Amino acid sequence: MSDGFEASEFITGFIAEAEEHLTSANANLLSLDQASAAGQPTPRQVRELFRSLHTIKGLAAMVGVEPIVDIAHAMETVLREADRAAGQLPVGSVELLLRGTRAIGQRVAALAKRKPVAAAPSTLVEALNALRQSGSNRPQAAAGTTLADDLWARLGSAEREQLLQGLMAGRRGVVATFIPAPERANAGINITSVRERMATVAEIVKVVPQSIPATESAPGGLAFALILLTDATDEVVAEASSSDPATLRPIALQSGPPAATEEGEESDDDTNPRQQGVVRVEVARLDDALEKLSALVVTQFRLTRAVAALRATGTDTRALALVVADNGRQLRDLRSSIMRARMVPVAEVLERVPLLLRGLSRSTGKQARLELRTGKTELDKAVAERIFPAVVHLIRNAADHALESPAERRAAGKPETGLITVVAVERSDNQLELTISDDGRGVDAAAVARRAGVPVPATDDGLLELLTRPGLSTKSEVTTTSGRGVGMDVVKRIAVDELRGALAMTTIRGQGTTFVLRVPLSITIVDAFSFVSGGETFVVPVAMVEEIQELDPSRTVRGPDRRRVARATPDRRQVARGTDMIERRGEAVPLLRLDEIFGLAVEGAAGRKVIIVRRNGEPFAFAVDRMLGQQEVVVRPLDDRLVRVDGISGTTDLGDGKPTLVLDLVALGGKLITGPGPGRERAHA
Amino acid sequence: MSELHVLCKVNDTEYVLPAADVLQMESFAGATKVPGAAAQVAGLVQIRGRVVPVVDLRVVFGLTPIPPTLDSRVVVMKASERVVGLLVDSAREVLKIPADDFHPPPAVLVQQTDGLVKAVAQVGNRLLMLIDFIKVIGEEHDDGDE
Repeated sequence: MSDGFEASEFITGFIAEAEEHLTSANANLLSLDQASAAGQPTPRQVRELFRSLHTIKGLAAMVGVEPIVDIAHAMETVLREADRAAGQLPVGSVELLLRGTRAIGQRVAALAKRKPVAAAPSTLVEALNALRQSGSNRPQAAAGTTLADDLWARLGSAEREQLLQGLMAGRRGVVATFIPAPERANAGINITSVRERMATVAEIVKVVPQSIPATESAPGGLAFALILLTDATDEVVAEASSSDPATLRPIALQSGPPAATEEGEESDDDTNPRQQGVVRVEVARLDDALEKLSALVVTQFRLTRAVAALRATGTDTRALALVVADNGRQLRDLRSSIMRARMVPVAEVLERVPLLLRGLSRSTGKQARLELRTGKTELDKAVAERIFPAVVHLIRNAADHALESPAERRAAGKPETGLITVVAVERSDNQLELTISDDGRGVDAAAVARRAGVPVPATDDGLLELLTRPGLSTKSEVTTTSGRGVGMDVVKRIAVDELRGALAMTTIRGQGTTFVLRVPLSITIVDAFSFVSGGETFVVPVAMVEEIQELDPSRTVRGPDRRRVARATPDRRQVARGTDMIERRGEAVPLLRLDEIFGLAVEGAAGRKVIIVRRNGEPFAFAVDRMLGQQEVVVRPLDDRLVRVDGISGTTDLGDGKPTLVLDLVALGGKLITGPGPGRERAHA
Repeated sequence: MSELHVLCKVNDTEYVLPAADVLQMESFAGATKVPGAAAQVAGLVQIRGRVVPVVDLRVVFGLTPIPPTLDSRVVVMKASERVVGLLVDSAREVLKIPADDFHPPPAVLVQQTDGLVKAVAQVGNRLLMLIDFIKVIGEEHDDGDE
């Protein structure tokens, strides 16, 4: 019997872990759904989803629950291929993957109730496999149309999306071919005139020039494939393209669009008056614009210096200085315009919430009404993406734990249908306040305290602190929608730790609970390299780095007097004058050991990588121990003067809950040559 | 009229801080070092999503820092806009000390502690020293320690 006991121990652990991964998988799927509707690739979500399912599969195999292994395996395979296709998921996969997580969730729930686990639904597994096959045969056309691969490959992601959306909305896709020839040109028919005529009968997704074997009818060896969405007949299209109707090729969706109502709602959106005059732009394009703007700012900085240098020679630069000042102001304005373009309406962020709640109502048997009051509030796309899973958690918790069953509510003299309200308000301090309230049973402080093994907290703040402890749950019985209340710690991590916002709660027994999330409207997110030096982890913005190299001792010149540089208390001027140089493309680059500069040097430890930055055109190389990786980080400024130090621009959280310093190596390099530096070191470093 | 005070220990000497200025007390397992910051800055910790500089009171009082123990505490305090944590060897008790019980510190103590002790209270047979928080965090050396 001891075997049985052990297995059940395992299963309890499995259930808890599987639920956690399902919760994160669902959150990722929802954000993925949103992102793919906006035409954005979703490599991060795809990878995280893959990891979740991979873990679920491994765990399920360990406890021997074959049906879950089968479903997770089918899902995992689709995701692995999407990951290889840079996060591009086949059309219709989100719906299928959601069904997959639901199917796994049901089986986990059955396990928890010690009920027999149903076999993997074969239709679902087959559908998933079908996705995969269409994906693997046509890796580029993973999104699934019958458009020839060579043409598909020429489409940008926005054009692919345009084509797919058009087809899904029921429009006809057609490829028409126009072959230019001298006699046609003489008759005034060329690609420009064809384009013009075509635009009156069809939506041109793209015109792709192709080379074809030169023949009598195609003496130029050139043809134009016009990829079209149209409601016109073949004859009309052929006429417009001056081609034979027989040469038209239809474009169809390869795996039919999911029959879910979601898609219908979405195409409705396109005709929604709110959407008029709106262009959907990939965030990457805005980021690109911002990046180019940063380059412009650097140029402006150089210009300012050049003007200063000119003034130093006695030249009258007043007129010039005015222009430079104007230029600087305009750049700042441009920057804020771009930042504004990144803002998305909160209403749009939350537009899937009603759908979520409908699903929850169905699975819990509770009745819930949702009231969304978001007004015209907006927030940065990056913040929106991060905060959405937290809001989803809170709504799930409200629907699942907080709201009572209709019978209970009747007995308590409440309307049978519970009310969940989501209100978004923009605060004056550049913060968005999201209030999620329910009129449910309120948090049972005594039960929470019992679970945590502590006295009952006197205040709601104290109670919230307990609720957000990792792994705490008040629900002894597992429910399908939000597991065991897993997630409050995640909500806090997102809102407070990642976004540097705030989370508050008020709860009244029998009357309901209100959560208030406060997040900044926009955050500074930079792409950064993380690395280790002197045993500490640091990050440096990618934009600041010119190059990362292996440290090649044979190309390093070790200067004299290095030993004079005390290890723990370096004199910065001396370090700066240090003659360590590396040779780089014929240029001698000063080599600075970051661990020495920071007083973190360990005897015998030699840097293995160099990070090269450039300040005013002058390169510097910083030797560090090793590179860790590259990721997007949220940078928080260091406000207190106790810790305001040149070369340190702020901190970030790499996910370990500890602050990691964000370095400004350019400023640090500058400090070292222009010295005298602050020269402060911790005595006990 | 009595006021609540947090009692903490540094090198077996007992100090008190006004509880009204204390935001929270957290255990301490090390901080992110800030190279180039003043010697008494033990580093940065993240407490409830906020990045807080930590000042090691041992260093402030001219003692050698010790590795964190299970008793080590960061007493997070607020003064106007600034939030700074004070690292102490331990912090367990909260005491009510009537304002009348505080007396100006003896001149020799003022001298020895650079005015970091604002007042002294006698509670039973214990001598408790009230720390001047502003003085502690305002004390930022501009030059090296050499």
